[in-house]
Amino acid sequence: MEVLRGLRYVFYLIFHPFNGFWDLKHEKKGNLGSAFVIVGLLGVTFILRRQATGFIFNTVNLLELNIFVEIMSVILPFALWCVANWSLTTLLDGEGSIKDIIITSAYALAPLVIINLPLILVSNVITLDEGAFYYFFISLSVVWAGALMLVGTSVVHQYSMTKTLFCTVAIVIGMGLIIFIGLLFFSLIQQVWSFIYTVYKEISLRL
Amino acid sequence: MKLRVCLILSLILIVLFTSVAMADAPYGSYTYDYWGDPVPAPAPYVPTRLLDGDALGIGPLTGASDLFISDDNKIYIADTGNNRIVVLNSSWKVERIIDSFVKNGQQDTFNSPQGVFVTEEDALYIADTGNARIIELTSKGEFVREIGPPKADIIPADFEYKPTALVVDRAKRLYVIAQGVNQGIMEFDSEGTFRTYMGAPRVSANLFQYFVRLFYTDEQLSRTIDFVPTEYNNINMDKDGFIYATTSSISVYDIQGAIAARATDDRVAPVRKLNATGTDILRRRGYFPPVGDITFYSRGYFEGGQSMFYDVCLDDYGIYSVLDNRRGRIFTYDGDSNILFIFGGKGNRLGQFNNPVALSKLGENFIVLDRSISGHGQITVFEPTDYGRLVIKAVSSHNEGNYQEATAAWQEVLKYNANSELAYIGMGKSYLDQDEFYTAMEYFKLGNKRDYYSKAFKLYRKEVIADYFGLIVGCIVLLSVALYIRSKIKSRREVDL
Repeated sequence: MEVLRGLRYVFYLIFHPFNGFWDLKHEKKGNLGSAFVIVGLLGVTFILRRQATGFIFNTVNLLELNIFVEIMSVILPFALWCVANWSLTTLLDGEGSIKDIIITSAYALAPLVIINLPLILVSNVITLDEGAFYYFFISLSVVWAGALMLVGTSVVHQYSMTKTLFCTVAIVIGMGLIIFIGLLFFSLIQQVWSFIYTVYKEISLRL
Repeated sequence: MKLRVCLILSLILIVLFTSVAMADAPYGSYTYDYWGDPVPAPAPYVPTRLLDGDALGIGPLTGASDLFISDDNKIYIADTGNNRIVVLNSSWKVERIIDSFVKNGQQDTFNSPQGVFVTEEDALYIADTGNARIIELTSKGEFVREIGPPKADIIPADFEYKPTALVVDRAKRLYVIAQGVNQGIMEFDSEGTFRTYMGAPRVSANLFQYFVRLFYTDEQLSRTIDFVPTEYNNINMDKDGFIYATTSSISVYDIQGAIAARATDDRVAPVRKLNATGTDILRRRGYFPPVGDITFYSRGYFEGGQSMFYDVCLDDYGIYSVLDNRRGRIFTYDGDSNILFIFGGKGNRLGQFNNPVALSKLGENFIVLDRSISGHGQITVFEPTDYGRLVIKAVSSHNEGNYQEATAAWQEVLKYNANSELAYIGMGKSYLDQDEFYTAMEYFKLGNKRDYYSKAFKLYRKEVIADYFGLIVGCIVLLSVALYIRSKIKSRREVDL
């Protein structure tokens, strides 16, 4: 019930972002549950967009569709964004907790779901000539979500717009850094593992 | 009992081996699909004959570099290393060997001639590369005239003229490819005077290169390679007088960029079709530009790198074939640059080449001149299979406007090759003409042809809406009535409250 109430709030929030995000945090209008539902729906939207978009607009080879990759292409950037956001704003006097950040970011992504999900249906009944509408709405959803993300970050941390813009750039760089360190970590683990394995093999062959 | 087993076994063996002998092309034929993946296709042409100079009884064709087939099906070979032109008739018998001619009362010879061309009137033109001249002879080998190096202000004094290939149009203008020339094709008028360069390949430089050059010092700039246009390496002319020219000096990165962008313009063009003003008018409507192989390793691996076009050969209806020297393959495209066939390969078996340099067509057969490992010219004859003939028939019937015949041919093609996107598109077009929109849509989908699918879909949608018009209007009316009643009830409740 709580989750449903949170989801219904999305339709208010995307049209009134400033009030919406303020109440989201301070009036507890949203909750983690509905945030995860939105991210989950976004994952579903991405898969459906690949799989069910009309043939005319679907330029992806369906033989190479990988649902796991599609889901990860939503969840991984989202998680990275939240972690990098929290790490940076904690140092830069941000007022949002990690919970606030997750809820805000998830709600900001709502237009991607709300616009793209019906668009998948529409893409099955329009022709190439009407494609301009299709591409317009796709761009609209991205721009809308991006704007909401900015407003959300500024409201949740009580930042000015300039500070928000600066922070956003820093967060994106931070995401890159996390990926780099992650890859480094795995590559080192691999080295260590192969070392241990080699020692084990050496001993087992000699005994 | 034993005898019976033996009999059955030998029967099986006979059946097995005869069927093996049927599939005798030493290469895997394929085409590229919409996604750029190579997909197997039946062999369109199979090699049937191999000839060399010894088989012809005239000694090895040392370093032969050009092969031309005239309108009366005579085969002219520029036997470069032996400084002679060999003329064969269509049944591969030596008709004449031209190694000298009488010019102004004096005996004259060739010096490594690399190109040969024969006009409709049987005038023989020879690019006498080593002597820096073009020689015109009659069909009997009598000297007519000599066209020397071009003279013009735009040509530097120290320019070394080495003509390698040429064509002559109906107005007797000469179009000459010369070594080291990157300004385009040299055009000579019927008198033999140099007119102009035509069809210069476009210079390509990307944004990054411009950016980097901003920071270079003068010395660094002088050391970098100039952005020069690529030079042509071969030339041919179709029946309508359009010139096809090939080049092999486009960088692998430009080629890969054009493939990735599915380029339809002429900026990266290893093969061009030029009109009289030198404008590239080749139709590039295929899923990929006509650059030979689409997927290849850019470097490092065995035979990595882009296809290197050395020759182009022309057919009716704009069908053209190019010869890839790097991997020894022949690529046949239709007039819209859709890929029709890919066959051939590198190796030492019949139908494979080591250094193929010239491609021509004798009737419906392909003739390839291969310089082989020894450097001696070898001639391979390819004959079309049933499949190859069917595809050509389908394309040509379509171009003649004989759509029913084309459809029948495409249907046959699909029996041989279920991977043929062109066949699906051809079938789809015919169903579209017959107003069977849904079937047409299915075929266009199989052929990955989105624009035609959209056309068929538009008509199909119209049909569906027309069929269910009453139902749709009824639903809308019902829905609006329901909404109206609901709002009435709601407002009454509010009044009650």
